Amino acid sequence: MKPSTFGPAEAFHLLKRVQFGVHPAEVDLAVREGLDNTLERLLSQQPESAEFQSTDQALRTTALATGNIQDLKIWWLVRMLTSANPLREKLALGWHNHFATSHAKVQSVPFMLAQNELFRTHAWGEFPALLHAVARDPAMLIWLDGNANRKRHPNENFAREVMELFTLGIGHYSEHDIQEAARAFSGWHLRDKAFWFNATQHDATPKTIFGHTGNYIGSEVLDLCLAQPACAQFLAGRLLRTFVTDRPTQSQLATTSQLITQHRYHIAPVLRTIFRDEEFFAAPQRQAMIKSPLDYVLGLLRPLGEQIHWRRVTTVLANLGQDLFEPPSVKGWEGGRHWIQSTSLILRWNFATEFLTSQQIAKVNTEAFSSLSEVADAELWCLGGTPEPQVHAALQQEWQNTTSADSSHATIQRLQFLVALPEYQLM
Amino acid sequence: MTDCQTTRREFLRWTGSATALSVGGLLPQVWSRCQAAEPGDSINDRILVVVQLAGGNDGLNTLVPIDNDDYYKARPGIAIGKGSALKLNDRLGLHPSLTGLREFWDAGRLAIVEGVGYPQPDRSHFRSMDIWHSAQPQEPSPQTGWIGRSLDISQSRQNDRREAACIGMEKQPLACIGNVALPPTIQRLEDFRLKQTPGQSQGLNSPRWSAAVPKPETVDASDLAFLRRASQTTLSAARQLERLVDQQTSSQYPTSEFARKLRLISQMIAADLPTRIYYVSLDGFDTHSQQLPGHATLLRELSEGLTAFLSDLEEQGHTQRVLVTTFSEFGRRVAENGSLGTDHGSASVLFNVVPPGRGGLYGAPPSLSDLEDGDPKFTTDFRRVYATLLDHWLQLPATEILSGTYAPLDFVA
Repeated sequence: MKPSTFGPAEAFHLLKRVQFGVHPAEVDLAVREGLDNTLERLLSQQPESAEFQSTDQALRTTALATGNIQDLKIWWLVRMLTSANPLREKLALGWHNHFATSHAKVQSVPFMLAQNELFRTHAWGEFPALLHAVARDPAMLIWLDGNANRKRHPNENFAREVMELFTLGIGHYSEHDIQEAARAFSGWHLRDKAFWFNATQHDATPKTIFGHTGNYIGSEVLDLCLAQPACAQFLAGRLLRTFVTDRPTQSQLATTSQLITQHRYHIAPVLRTIFRDEEFFAAPQRQAMIKSPLDYVLGLLRPLGEQIHWRRVTTVLANLGQDLFEPPSVKGWEGGRHWIQSTSLILRWNFATEFLTSQQIAKVNTEAFSSLSEVADAELWCLGGTPEPQVHAALQQEWQNTTSADSSHATIQRLQFLVALPEYQLM
Repeated sequence: MTDCQTTRREFLRWTGSATALSVGGLLPQVWSRCQAAEPGDSINDRILVVVQLAGGNDGLNTLVPIDNDDYYKARPGIAIGKGSALKLNDRLGLHPSLTGLREFWDAGRLAIVEGVGYPQPDRSHFRSMDIWHSAQPQEPSPQTGWIGRSLDISQSRQNDRREAACIGMEKQPLACIGNVALPPTIQRLEDFRLKQTPGQSQGLNSPRWSAAVPKPETVDASDLAFLRRASQTTLSAARQLERLVDQQTSSQYPTSEFARKLRLISQMIAADLPTRIYYVSLDGFDTHSQQLPGHATLLRELSEGLTAFLSDLEEQGHTQRVLVTTFSEFGRRVAENGSLGTDHGSASVLFNVVPPGRGGLYGAPPSLSDLEDGDPKFTTDFRRVYATLLDHWLQLPATEILSGTYAPLDFVA
């Protein structure tokens, strides 16, 4: 059922989840358009501006020319912040996290870029097409040792992660299934920078997987995985943890998994249904996710930052534990509470202090936040709504102590207080 | 410990307030060692350093069964030769990189536990790591770890203010998460400094900040409560560490990241912080291919790091107070794979460096001919090691923390 109202609070909640950071003007636009039109815009390809296209092309060319992964990070960050298709970028990150591949081992900017384009192309498309494409993707073949998987020496690395991390999750396959699947993927190699089926290294003898026996090749193993009931449930967990809550309930998993089955793994209608449901806007889903470093950092830059020094930003993100193209392991970023420990909190606080007070990271423009002079607006924008009475009282006191003739100065002081509150780490 | 009690009384007289007990960061140095201890109890002075070898350390090439033909048959390309292993007895030798551990062995300080594992071994890094961290193999998605639950108990006692710290970890290890306890995670000291606008009282320095961040109820498990605890812990640790000075030591630390982390632990011990459990990780043990050179480097980092660290502590006079224990999420298959590496296995060996006297062999060596799915069967439940560390070293109730009774081993008196 659709939510009964779609005002600024609801629009802000939706936009925080589907893009990186929110500008107040975007909330106004969404409220004017209404929920359905907003979702239609977010889930269909919008034309990019000429300025975006030329910047994008220049940054991509630079990254390919230098072969430096830091340049590719900047290319993606600029897309995240300025693309007219922000949900596509958030999904691309979701798939990068799902099929977590690291440049640390792949050591190729062109391969990392090509894989990233796969995630973007298939962002809200059909998951099976994405899975099949990823299995033949050069970066993945290097990352999970596909190249080392030979007839007489099967390497289980890719077969294991396909089941454990890409489709089914622990508990829905046996060690034997993995060993058999590894043989089916033998000979899936890389030649001339492209996928190559190396028939001489492929083990063509019969394999038994999930109780079915056949002379399976890799792509048939992928289809066997997709046909397992656990797959839709596993994917439901991924979508819910990317967009809805850090801790999905059994009932949320069941509902979403049904949706995925019903739409045959087509992601766009699944997301549209999730975002149109009043459940998504209900209290348990508000402030139910801990901001990732990208949500936190771009969340400050999007409404407030101009002339951004991207090198500084990539360093901060790496220190905060979300280094694009270099996830910590094949499991990706675990998210939720795993983002938070003492050092990362200090780094988050320090980033905000430096950004707001030094002009070293970007030029700060507080124009969009003139309404922060009202405690209620500040609470909506930064804390997700009215906090407990004690916190509210402390904010009122802080506001009284930070009045200033220079309104921009007061706004910055107040932002410093808001971003240092635990509530600000939630979205 | 009468000294402590005297100091405590003097301190209370000096401040005139018992509430000062809760503001760890503001206590004078002379007080802080006592701060962690229960009166009349010398046990709580002890420090435990947990070293995680992440990725699955190949136990068979670490503690080499030099008289075992099955070992040499299974590993024609990567076995450590009998001649190059650092011989401990007729049956066993250490990997040649472990010269420092060999010296600890000679000094009666190396307690080796063989055949450590758990029933129905899981070969997923993540799952097996969760099992070791939580010590709750039956729990499908554990939320707390053995150290975290230990802290919950010790910190709920009236006079026990022992704390823990995770050094150099990129994320909070599950082992250190309690229902309430959430020890600070310090990646590098230089990143642990709060940036402040001089002379101003904004953000965290605002007098309104602590009013806006109330202390959560013990039973509150919400994300907001978690974030409030984390924020409070972090601020208090940051203020403690502001006083930490980069002191000189004659002990030469190697240049590795691992040694850098151990050096920070040594500085924290020297500063007499109430931290009693340190958690640190050495990563990269997932040796699927061409493992000989990489594994040798990692073990050298381990051995050289520990040697520098423990000789530093010896110089500071802390040898009797410190126990270092290592673990890895699993060992590796007995047989090498086709890429001169080894795949995920199960039961393996772990090391403890203890105060002199209780070094030796503990647990029992698993058979290399009677295998389960290509792996040795475990002989010694890992929770027996934890029980030893909890009951005998830290004197915390292992049965309660581990939800079961596991017989301690004898490497702690």
